[in-house]
Amino acid sequence: MYHRQGSYKSRQTNMIDPVILQQGGDWRAQAEVFDEIFFVFLALGTLVGTIVVAYTLWNVYKYRDDGNRSDEEFDAPVVGELPTGQGGPKAKKLFLSFGLSAIVVISLVVYAYGLLLYVEQGPDTDGEGDIEIMVEGYQYGWDYEYPNGHTETGELIVPADQRIDLNITSRDVWHNFGSSDLRIKSDAIPGDYNENWFLVSSEDVEAQGGEATYRVECFELCGAGHSAMKGQVTVIPQDEWEEWYANTGNSSESASIQASGLEAAAQSGVSA
Amino acid sequence: MSGLPPTTSVKRWFVTTNHKDVGILYTITALFFLLFGGVMALLIRLQLWDPTSQILSGLAYNEAVTAHGLIMVFWFLSPFAFGFANYFVPLQIGADDLAFPRLNALSYWLYLGSGLLLAVSFFQGGTLSAGWTIYAPLNVPMYTPSIGSTGAVLALAMFVTGTTASTVNFLTSIHHSRAEGMGIMDMPMFTWSMLATVWMMLFAFAALLAVGLILAADRVLGSVYFSATEGGSLLWGHLFWFFGHPEVYIVFFPALGVMLELFQTFSGRRLVGRKWVIISICLISVQSFLVWMHHMFLTTINLEIKTLMMATTIGISLPFDLVVFSLIYTLIKGRIQFTTPFLFAFGALLLFILGGITGVFLGAIVLDYEFRGTYWVVAHFHYVMFGGATALFGGAYYWFPKITGKMYDEFLGKLHFVVFFLGFNAVYFSMFLGWETPRRVFEYNPEFQIYHQFGTIGAFVLGLSFFIMFYNFAKSYVSGEPAGDNPWDYSRTAEWAVSSPPPLENWPNRPSYASGKLEFVKDYVPDGGPAMKTDDNGDVATDGGDSHSAHISEYPYWDKHASHASIWPFALSLALGVTLFGFSGFADAVTVELGETALQSDVVISNALYPIAIVAGMLGLLYTGVKWGLEDFYAPPSEFAERWPFNGVEKVKLGMWFFLASDVIVFGAFLSAAIFVRYNAGWMTWSPLTESLPGLINTFVLITSSFTVILALVAARRKSRQGLLATLGATILLGFTFMAIKLWEWNHEIFDRGVTISANAHGDPIQASIYYVTTGLHGIHVLLGLVIAIFLFVRAYQGHYLDDERPIEYFGLYWHFVDIVWVFIFPLFYLF
Repeated sequence: MYHRQGSYKSRQTNMIDPVILQQGGDWRAQAEVFDEIFFVFLALGTLVGTIVVAYTLWNVYKYRDDGNRSDEEFDAPVVGELPTGQGGPKAKKLFLSFGLSAIVVISLVVYAYGLLLYVEQGPDTDGEGDIEIMVEGYQYGWDYEYPNGHTETGELIVPADQRIDLNITSRDVWHNFGSSDLRIKSDAIPGDYNENWFLVSSEDVEAQGGEATYRVECFELCGAGHSAMKGQVTVIPQDEWEEWYANTGNSSESASIQASGLEAAAQSGVSA
Repeated sequence: MSGLPPTTSVKRWFVTTNHKDVGILYTITALFFLLFGGVMALLIRLQLWDPTSQILSGLAYNEAVTAHGLIMVFWFLSPFAFGFANYFVPLQIGADDLAFPRLNALSYWLYLGSGLLLAVSFFQGGTLSAGWTIYAPLNVPMYTPSIGSTGAVLALAMFVTGTTASTVNFLTSIHHSRAEGMGIMDMPMFTWSMLATVWMMLFAFAALLAVGLILAADRVLGSVYFSATEGGSLLWGHLFWFFGHPEVYIVFFPALGVMLELFQTFSGRRLVGRKWVIISICLISVQSFLVWMHHMFLTTINLEIKTLMMATTIGISLPFDLVVFSLIYTLIKGRIQFTTPFLFAFGALLLFILGGITGVFLGAIVLDYEFRGTYWVVAHFHYVMFGGATALFGGAYYWFPKITGKMYDEFLGKLHFVVFFLGFNAVYFSMFLGWETPRRVFEYNPEFQIYHQFGTIGAFVLGLSFFIMFYNFAKSYVSGEPAGDNPWDYSRTAEWAVSSPPPLENWPNRPSYASGKLEFVKDYVPDGGPAMKTDDNGDVATDGGDSHSAHISEYPYWDKHASHASIWPFALSLALGVTLFGFSGFADAVTVELGETALQSDVVISNALYPIAIVAGMLGLLYTGVKWGLEDFYAPPSEFAERWPFNGVEKVKLGMWFFLASDVIVFGAFLSAAIFVRYNAGWMTWSPLTESLPGLINTFVLITSSFTVILALVAARRKSRQGLLATLGATILLGFTFMAIKLWEWNHEIFDRGVTISANAHGDPIQASIYYVTTGLHGIHVLLGLVIAIFLFVRAYQGHYLDDERPIEYFGLYWHFVDIVWVFIFPLFYLF
């Protein structure tokens, strides 16, 4: 008994030792990336929207039909004319505005794309300290399976300062695993394996009093209990987690579950 | 049935095929579904009032959410727009009616019938509860077992059938019946928007029909497509969104068309950059088919494809920018009249700008990751789709005087707009504020309760505003001021050149734009010959007086009057509705217990209602179909018309080609599904379920029958009745040979090898499902062809088709198409 637990412990210690991230403090949580892009889009969107709407309203007011305008220059259309468009200075203005809007939109998206590449890859670690968790959705909850085969239902307990890699699937219908606080979200599709990651710093954990919790919700309609399909991610300091994790290894969860999970993941890798 | 009863007669509304009558029917029915879907919306809003206490169970809430989405998108938005399209597209292009009036009536009755089927589904153990996106595998009976769920899916399939008929009709009409002198670039903008809409519909709705049929097979016949872990869920996603994204523009474009008209009419200015707006509209229509995976950014699609879809998504926003700026600049230096129609059109522009800007957020994948499945998306698409529909209400006020001959009440109209606009922004802008709430969740984070309560109040205000409109229209219809032919100062399009309401056949004389503006010219119609143009003095014009396309002379009865009444569209739709009602309960009511052979198998019927409905409905379909074919219904093509780019093509043939184009997409979707699932299962792990010999024989049988159909056409042209009977007979025999071999093959698979639609003794069950469903769909096409061939054979025996062989030719087109499809099916299911 002790012996087995000890062996798990030593394995874990090996995993945790080199946890210092290679880029030091360079990594950013998905929430930070999201907040930055969202702010930029919101600021520019509000600005452009305000200008366009204000300009439109002003002109609609200015050119209202108050009955006092002269008939000169006004070429009223008549019923039955074959439609023609307006050219001239207005058409030039049309292309100018169009060009400007195209530049704004394209530069916004190119800017956001650079950050997408980061979000897709996640922070640069040497990989050894990463923890891979299998997340399986079901009607109506979430199961988490740790590398040692231990499973938790509802609550995912992970350490701070370590990159958590999620491998997300479903055992029945299409779910969506998401945490608005962490700004992570992935479809959980039966027969398919979807990857995501997150990382919570120990500062954040301390700021929340030594245990940071985040809501998990299902973001895809999955049946009558969809509304109540909640879960939680709990992040605790590394040493506490280590202790907790070491005690999970002696549960009866066999390695075969883990093996089957990994095998399935490997298969999905092949087909994807 | 040729005479059309007066509008006061109830009978008229069941038999009418006139485009204006059908347009009124569409509009009123759509408004009914607006109320229906609106009640669902208010139930949702009440449920959201308090995240801790509810008025609906989880399942009932999901039903309300699903029904709200389905009804508003399918049974309200598009049909409301098609009400106006029915009424005004023929008027705007100078046609007497749509190309196929009976088909148009059929489209309407299928629409109404499908809506009733959906309403019935609430009482069949609860309607569908899988959301309007109907994601797999929640959509299969294991997770949504009620009969009503199947009923709703079949209702959707019936709706799409009607839509396809309507699409073919509008495409043919707009491409074939434009008044002389109205080139395609000269069409009014509303008609242009409708043309782009129906082109998108032709392909998008075909994909929806395919995916709906596959789902129906899963639910009724027991195939296992969408529960398959070999990509079943993603298959639904791809096929649904291949339809679903163009659908956004299908819903929005008619509203855009109304905006484009109204901005011009109420500012007295012509559209800025008209040519570029038209080009933008065409570009959007094409691009709309290249962006669908942006609805699936959070699935396992790889980064390269996501990047591509992001680029196309941004690409599609650019033409929209141009259209919006064009609308704004059109107003400048105008004389803007703030009438009710203009207020709605202008309000729609403001709402669409907000919807568009928030849509750019969704185009950035990192933001989309977080917005997916939240109220941000809900708010965004309501601003776009319902914001667009705001312009349609403007259209309702704009055209009300034309349709009824009475003026609406301007004060009540403006009041409606103010209440509507405030309510709209209260309910949907509050969604942006509480956007982190997951969609379709009512036990949400209490932090957001204030926004949802505000939204609920807004929703009731919004709902209430429509009663102002109903009251206004009812009151004005009864006692409004006479509107005259043209109540607007700066209207341009041809519907304002005729009386309000317009006469049955629209025009005093033939409308023509040959001189550059609308004129009504009188043609000379000699006995038994096509009409001839006349000059100003009423004499037959000598220079180019006969500019008919060659196919016009193929309509032999020049003294005949166009028909406007037929009961068969209604009857056919009724029969299809009964059939589909029967199929909705088929899986629950009928169990097949397989024995050693087909003869030893048992069919256990637990509820006779459904099988009886199927049999009765199918007999009804056959009867009404034959009556339809025999009815003497005369709808001649416009004699002098602009038909670019289909100048030399006869009307019915053009319709046939459009129909076949949509059928190509239907089969394309089925074959793509087969390839997609096989790829996900591992391509090489499957080998054909069947032996290749029967398939090979069938290939030769079908190809031979294609030749006999060609020979039949030759015989008809040579006026050889015997030759026609012999070749048609040979075609029928070959068709039955094909079906017999098919039957033997299926029998062999089921009873000798243990391969059924839901089980496979030799491999993946999904492989068996795909085999039966795909070859089954083809088999149904062959069967349908045989029914038509037998009809033609009997008629040929009675001596028809020797003067006019076109029915043989068009049947041939269909038959060749079915044979070509087999050429794709054969290698996929029999060789590799």
